Amino acid sequence: MLENYLPILLFIIIGIGFGVLPLLAGFVLGPRHPDSEKRSAYECGFEPFEDAHMKFDVRYYLVAILFIIFDLEIAFLFPWAIVLDEIGVFGLLAMFLFLGILVVGFIYEWKKGALEWE
Amino acid sequence: MESVIFYIFAAILLFAATMVITVRNPVRAALFLVLAFFTSAGIWLMLEAEFLAISLVLVYVGAVLVLFLFVVMMLDIDLAPLKEGFTRYLPLGIIVAALIVVEMIAVLNAPQFDISAAQATDGSNTKMLGRLLYTVYVYPFEIASVILTVAIVAAITLTLREHHRKLQDPAKQVMVKSADRLRMVDLRSKKQDGEGSES
Amino acid sequence: MIVLSDYLILAAILFSLSLAGIFLNRKNIIILLMCIELMLLAVNLNFIAFSHFLGDPAGQVFVFFILTVAAAEAAIGLAILVVLFRNLSTINVSDLDRLKG
Repeated sequence: MLENYLPILLFIIIGIGFGVLPLLAGFVLGPRHPDSEKRSAYECGFEPFEDAHMKFDVRYYLVAILFIIFDLEIAFLFPWAIVLDEIGVFGLLAMFLFLGILVVGFIYEWKKGALEWE
Repeated sequence: MESVIFYIFAAILLFAATMVITVRNPVRAALFLVLAFFTSAGIWLMLEAEFLAISLVLVYVGAVLVLFLFVVMMLDIDLAPLKEGFTRYLPLGIIVAALIVVEMIAVLNAPQFDISAAQATDGSNTKMLGRLLYTVYVYPFEIASVILTVAIVAAITLTLREHHRKLQDPAKQVMVKSADRLRMVDLRSKKQDGEGSES
Repeated sequence: MIVLSDYLILAAILFSLSLAGIFLNRKNIIILLMCIELMLLAVNLNFIAFSHFLGDPAGQVFVFFILTVAAAEAAIGLAILVVLFRNLSTINVSDLDRLKG
């Protein structure tokens, strides 16, 4: 069973290698002679006034929530699509009801203008 | 081989969970939570729950944790007061957690949990899940859609701000009639009024 | 050989870690929500382990529903958190001592 995941293991190892090796190479090979002048702000530059931490707009958050909901909806669609020929009309109707209820929520968000960005 | 992989995954999972509860910075905690979810997706793959492992990565790592990161970055929080009481409650937390672990291990070492022969499931895991989900569990399935709809409505009512829009609509501006803007009021001056009453 | 009780013990340790996390981070709602997610993960691990070792796929269906409910819960919980922060500009649990918004 586990042998089937060998390609994934290789993929993960190569992926980590791709990310880590250049960083490591730069760390090991690059010359570093820091002194106080080098580390200070260049010419007209100045020390940062405040944290670089920037506030996000709430609208991103709303989009992310709506993404979660429809992501889950898609997750429900996958097994349904695979077994559709076995469960027949009943399964089809069940999924239509499911999607219908979610479409109500979708219409609500559309009417509320939650999808508009200006 | 399989047990070695299990122990590696378990060690990473517990390490990630420990870091989630101890690091100061919520961004790091969210990233360690990503690691925890990835590792448990790996453990679920070992348990032959392939579809759920994929959807854990898809739904949790892809969506819920991005949401957590958004929220952490959206609120600029002064972190110092949030960490107070950490050392005060540390002994209590460790004692309670250790007690639970000891009790659970005592219970779980019973012979009825010593099952190793997993029934070989034939065919695709997704297919098996689908066969159950849309027939036997069809009512919970529909209720899930209701829950999702409630989540949509709740999220919108909570976070959507009504903007005071100052947008111009040229069509309305052109179509406007003088009667909409101008109201002719019949005003007679007081004096005239007085004269009228006199005569 | 890995048996059922190994998975269950792993889930129990994970659960108690997240419980300890709730004790330790009692001021920070975001970490509290993350701990709840970890708890749900431990519960899901139990469900899947039982489902695998007992050969009953119903456990996996349950996990799927738990994933759904947990995602909706996280979405609404974080929405409440955002509104809270907007109104009070704090997420410290000890400041949230009134019901009036």
